[in-house]
Amino acid sequence: MGLSVNLIKKINGFTLDAAWDIGNELAVLLGFSGAGKSMTLQMIAGLASPDDGLIKSDSKVYFDRVRKISIPPQERNIGYVFQDLALFPHMTVMGNILYGAKRADRDKNTDRAMEMIAAFGLSGLEPRYPAEISGGQKQRVALARALMRNPDVLLLDEPFSALDYPLRLEMRRFLKEVKSLFSIPIVLVTHDVVEACELADKMIVYVNGKVAQLGVPDEIIHRPVSPEVRNLVQGITGPAANPVFL
Amino acid sequence: MKIHILFYCVAVLFSIALVPAFAEPPKELTVSAAISLKNSFDEIGKLYESRNVGAKVLFNFGASGDLMKQIEGGAPVDVFASAAQKDMDEAEKKGLVGVATRANIAVNSVVLVIPASSNVAVKSFEDLRAGNIKKIAIGNPKTVPAGRYAEEVFSYYRILDAVKDKFILTENVRQALDYVARDEVDAGIVYATDATTRAKEVKIAVTAPDQSHKPVIYPIAAVKGTKNEASAKAFIAFVLSAEGQKILGKYGFRKP
Amino acid sequence: MEQGAIFSIRLSLQVAAVATFFVVIFGIFIAYLLARRAFRGREVVDMLFTLPLVLPPTVTGYYLIVLFGRKGLIGGPLYELTGWTVMFTWQAAVLASFVVALPLMIKTTRAAIESVDRNLINASFTLGHGECETAMRVVLPLAKRGIIAGAVLSFARAMGEFGATLMLAGNIPGKTDTMPLAIYSLAGSGEWAKAHFMVFLLTCISGLFLYLANRYAKRVI
Repeated sequence: MGLSVNLIKKINGFTLDAAWDIGNELAVLLGFSGAGKSMTLQMIAGLASPDDGLIKSDSKVYFDRVRKISIPPQERNIGYVFQDLALFPHMTVMGNILYGAKRADRDKNTDRAMEMIAAFGLSGLEPRYPAEISGGQKQRVALARALMRNPDVLLLDEPFSALDYPLRLEMRRFLKEVKSLFSIPIVLVTHDVVEACELADKMIVYVNGKVAQLGVPDEIIHRPVSPEVRNLVQGITGPAANPVFL
Repeated sequence: MKIHILFYCVAVLFSIALVPAFAEPPKELTVSAAISLKNSFDEIGKLYESRNVGAKVLFNFGASGDLMKQIEGGAPVDVFASAAQKDMDEAEKKGLVGVATRANIAVNSVVLVIPASSNVAVKSFEDLRAGNIKKIAIGNPKTVPAGRYAEEVFSYYRILDAVKDKFILTENVRQALDYVARDEVDAGIVYATDATTRAKEVKIAVTAPDQSHKPVIYPIAAVKGTKNEASAKAFIAFVLSAEGQKILGKYGFRKP
Repeated sequence: MEQGAIFSIRLSLQVAAVATFFVVIFGIFIAYLLARRAFRGREVVDMLFTLPLVLPPTVTGYYLIVLFGRKGLIGGPLYELTGWTVMFTWQAAVLASFVVALPLMIKTTRAAIESVDRNLINASFTLGHGECETAMRVVLPLAKRGIIAGAVLSFARAMGEFGATLMLAGNIPGKTDTMPLAIYSLAGSGEWAKAHFMVFLLTCISGLFLYLANRYAKRVI
C-alpha cells in the first residue's frame, strides 16, 4: 500500500513544507505544537488543501497540483481519528460505528459492526450514547468507526493525549494490535516523545513546518541532526531509549 | 478608539434628530380632509401659506370615516373636510365640530372607471354583471363615502346583489383608483375628480346620474376646542373664497 | 361566536401554517448554504434575505406588488399564461407572511447550523459521506432545536402579519381578512367588542408560540 506525501502550504506567515514516504508501517509525526503535524494529516485526509504538491498511496492519487487532481475527503477511503474523537452525540455507539460503513449492504454492515464491537471490547455498549461511556471506551468507538470501511490509510491526531496514564498505555498496546490486523500505512501525530518511540516503526520529526529528520526511533534519539531535534528528544536516555517497555 | 468615534457619531445624530422636536413652529394648522380633496387642497394650502406669512398648513388625507374616528379619538386636528354630509353630521352630533363654522365647499360626481388598456365593453352599470368583469374596486362602505355612493348607485340600478361578490374593498377612494390604474381589477367606482388625476391610466366608462345616489356635497367645519380656532376659521374662509373655489373648479369640482 | 370571526381565526391559522411550511423548507435550505458554503457576495445575499425584517411592511408590500401584481414582473407572465393572479386571494396572504417570516427562520437556523462542531462535519466526510448526507444525518439533527425554534417563531410572525398582507391580499371579508386585518376593520368601524375578543385571542396565540420558541431555543445552547 504505502503512502507518499509531498506538500507545501503557506498560511498566515507560516510555511509548511514536508515530503516523506512510508510503507505499510506505523509512522509517527513528532514535534512541538504548531509545527504543522495536524495540518499535514488534514491534507492527507482531504480536509484541507495544500498550495502545491503530490499526495498519493500506491493505488490512488489523492492530490496532484500539476494534474489538477484533488479528491474530496469522502472518496479517499482514509480513516481518521480526531483529537477530540468527534463522536456523534446524537447517535448511539452502534449508530456511530455503523455510520463508518459504506451504504451498500445493511445486514453485512451490522454483522461487521458486531465483529468490530466484540474485537474492540465494546460488547454491551451498543445502545449507549457517547456521553454515557468512559474515555477509553470512546477512544475505541472512534477507532472502530474509522476502521469500518477497511480504509487504505489510518490517521490519528494526538488520539491519546486526553487520557490518563494507565489508559494511555493500554491504548498504545491496543493500537499495536490494530496495526497487526490491518496492514496499512498508519500515521500518528503526537508531541509525546515516549509514545512516539514506543509506537513508531518510522519517526518523522517536524520542526517549524519542515521535516528535520526521518528515521527509526533509535536513530533519532541517539543521533539527532540538529539542536532543535535534540531539544525535542532530550530526556529520553537510559531505559526509555528502549522502545519496548510497558 | 474606533468605538469612541462611533459613539460620538451616534450621539451627534441623535441630538440632531431631537432638535426639531423642541423647536415647534407657531401657527401650525392641521387639516383632516377626504382623500379625494388631496390635489386641490395641496394647492390651496400652498396659496394660503403664501398669503399668510408664517402660517403652516399640515394635511392629513384619508377616508372620511377614518378621519372622523381619529377626531373622535382626540386627534389634534383643527379643520375637518369630508366627502359626505353623513360623516360631518356624525361629527356634529358628537359635538366634535363647531356648527357655526360648518359650510359646503364643493360638489362631485360619481363615475365608473376601467383600466385604460381594457378591451372589455362597459357602457352602463348593468354591464358590470357580465362574466368577464370579475373584480370591482370600491371604497369600504363602512368608512369610505365613495363606497357608500357606489352601493347607492348599484341599488338604484338593482344590480347590488349581482355584483356584491365582485367587490374588492379598499381603504379609501384613491386606493380603488389605484387598483384600476394598475389593472389589478376590472372596474372601480371613484369620483370624477379622481379619474382625471390618472387620466392616462384609467378611462371613465359611465358617469352616474345625479339621481342614482345621494348628492356628493363636501362639508367643512372647524373642530371644537382647538387652540387654532382663529386660523381654522381663516382657512375655511379661504377655501370658500373666490380663489379657493377657483382651484377646486380647476380639479373638476362643481360649486355647492 | 360570529361567522366572520370564526372565518378569520381559521384563515389566520391556515395562512400561517402554509406559510410556515414553505418558510421551513426554504429557510433550512438557504440557511444551510449561507452557513456552509463560503461564496463571493455571501453576506450581501444574507442581507437581502434579512431585509423584510427591517423594512416597513408597506415597503415589503410594495415590492411584492411590483413582482406579483397583475402587471408585475412575475405576476404579469403568470396572468398571461393562466389567467390567474395572486392579488386579493388568500394565497397572497401566504406570500406576504412567507416573505416576512423567512428572515427569522434563516437567522435562527443559520446560527444553529454554524454552532455544530466543525470536527463532526469533518468526521462525517472522512467516514465516506458527502455534503448532502452529512447535512441530513449530522448537521440538521444537531441543529434541530434551533430549527424548531425558528419554525415556531415564524409561525407566530405569520399570524401577526398585517401591512404587506393588506396591500397584496386586500381586506376582503370572508376571503382574505386574517385576524390582524379583521381587527383593523372592526376598530375602524367602531365595533370594539368584537375587536377586543380577537385581539385577546391573537395575543394569546402569539404569546404561546413565543414562549414555546424561547423554551426550545434556550435548550439549544
